[in-house]
Amino acid sequence: MEATGIRSELANAIEAVLFVAEKPVGRGELARIVGGTPRVIESALAELGASYEGTGLRLQRSGDEWQIVTATEHASQVAAYLGADRLRLSAASLETLSVVAYRQPVTRAEVEAIRGVNCDQTIYTLASRRLIEERGRKEAPGRPILYGTTWEFLECFGLQSLDDLPRALSPEGQLLESAEATQGERA
Amino acid sequence: MDSQAPRVTVEGFDGPLDLLLELVEEKKLDILTVRLGDLADEYLTRVRAMAALPADEVSAFLALASRLVLLKARSLLPSLEPVTEEEGESEEELRARLLEYAVVRERASALGARLRAGERAFHREGGTIELPPRGGEVDALASAWSRVLALAARHAEREGDIVAPAERYSVEQRTAEIEALVGAQERVTFATLLAEAPNVEFAVVTFIALLDLYRRGVIDLSQDELFGDILITWRQRASAQS
Repeated sequence: MEATGIRSELANAIEAVLFVAEKPVGRGELARIVGGTPRVIESALAELGASYEGTGLRLQRSGDEWQIVTATEHASQVAAYLGADRLRLSAASLETLSVVAYRQPVTRAEVEAIRGVNCDQTIYTLASRRLIEERGRKEAPGRPILYGTTWEFLECFGLQSLDDLPRALSPEGQLLESAEATQGERA
Repeated sequence: MDSQAPRVTVEGFDGPLDLLLELVEEKKLDILTVRLGDLADEYLTRVRAMAALPADEVSAFLALASRLVLLKARSLLPSLEPVTEEEGESEEELRARLLEYAVVRERASALGARLRAGERAFHREGGTIELPPRGGEVDALASAWSRVLALAARHAEREGDIVAPAERYSVEQRTAEIEALVGAQERVTFATLLAEAPNVEFAVVTFIALLDLYRRGVIDLSQDELFGDILITWRQRASAQS
């Protein structure tokens, strides 16, 4: 997209719909409403997202759904207007949340195996703060609940999508991440 | 931090792997090469200081402690049989778990840093726009508004008048007045009746008087359109003649 500031009609139509939407809108629904193939919609969304650079808004994506959010740079002003409290989480809750975020969808037992402690309480806390939610059941004995992160999670941590999760800095972390990536490709 | 008192409380409970990882980091050892059995003594010392913890939570620490002691025993006595399946986790399996946990902690602290920085996003808070129903009675609304304006104009004209303190209207008196007026003119509009004194008390009394007259069959009421003027007609004469 050139810096002419002129966007395509399609990107404008998508922006208008996302502006009034109360909840994230799926790509398929956008395609039905504004017309166009999913690929055309995808590129219009990319165009819209790029056009928000240097503005107070950002385009946020989770899976196949999109919504317009405020830029993290202006969090303090928006929080002051909304009277929003800052989210506080214990170290234990943060650990559980990071396992869910990087490994989703995961069961409670999987989180507990990694952390080596009971995670009942932290999972309950995170779910009640709507940072994680149920994502169906695992096809395994007992059909345990699978957990994944929510839109609120992306918003609270200022991530435009799960692709923006912070990458590991330590060598052992990078080692594990590349292992996870190959696992993800195989899955 | 006081090394004699591990930061393990029920509230910020971080578990056996956390304690082991802390020992590795305190001693600036490399997770990939450290002999985990060497940490058994120190680990046990820390666990002993935890007597106040609930039994089921201590047991998780003890399980890992016994694993470390076994690893230490093996390194001191290499002639021992190789690890069997029943014995459980080997040193490499425990190392892999510790490594994985180290990454979780690293990621958790990165997320925690984002949270503390407060750089978050907000979405637009709900509230779908309520659209008025389509094709409303726009003309009726417009003519009703023009009547309100006319009434207000008359009211403004009267403002200059000297107004007697809070005139009280009685329904009986007003009923008699209307009865006389409609009897004489046969057809009167509601607007004409209100024009005498356009204020709320007068309008209410006039309205009640009309309802009373209608109830007694003295008058007929009709209204051609929504918000239109009400036409009051005399009925007494017809019934009186019969």
